Amino acid sequence: MAGSKATIRNRIRKLRFDKGEMTQLELAERVGVTRQTVNAIEGAKYSPSLEVAFRIAEVFGLPLEEVFQHGPVEE
Amino acid sequence: MNTSFEEKSAWITAIGLVVVFGIYCAVAGQMLVGGVTEALPFVPVFTLAVVLLVALLVGGHVAVAIASRPDGRDERDRLITWRAEHDSSWLLGAGVIAAVFCLVLPIERGWIANGLLAALFLSEIVNYALRLYYYRRGL
Repeated sequence: MAGSKATIRNRIRKLRFDKGEMTQLELAERVGVTRQTVNAIEGAKYSPSLEVAFRIAEVFGLPLEEVFQHGPVEE
Repeated sequence: MNTSFEEKSAWITAIGLVVVFGIYCAVAGQMLVGGVTEALPFVPVFTLAVVLLVALLVGGHVAVAIASRPDGRDERDRLITWRAEHDSSWLLGAGVIAAVFCLVLPIERGWIANGLLAALFLSEIVNYALRLYYYRRGL
């Protein structure tokens, strides 16, 4: 698709806020990654492995597709 | 600060490599221009360069570890390491192949040995520069 690329988007920042303003560090410790990786995932700079994506969804008690979405993003 | 221990480590290593390679190039370049074309006289220079590099890396990592607790490696760190090594290793391979071709040409061993070392250093510098790029810009 001209002028756009497919990427994995997520709602982690909003979900953290909704879950008692959970910090990136708290989420990182529960998922088993570094805080910088959570920050990179939130900023769409890194697409996590399926395993980490499932663990993040489990922390929020939501199905994977409610946390992560795949689709084109205009550049 | 939004920088992991692994990224700080990459900065330390990249800076250490550039500094040591720069010093080695200055000294070895003068020797080559001055007519030293055998490989053996470069061994002490290279040995000192390795010792200096190890000292810089150990000192830098100890200082960073004291300043901020290492937070371990995760899948992103491993992927960045793998991709940077994959994208930079061709430089060393190209240097080795070039050195093999140079062996059949009338080129002094000192030049060939230093060409190989340059390929090794440059490959590692590009490796760590790519790591920093991937940490900053994303994968």
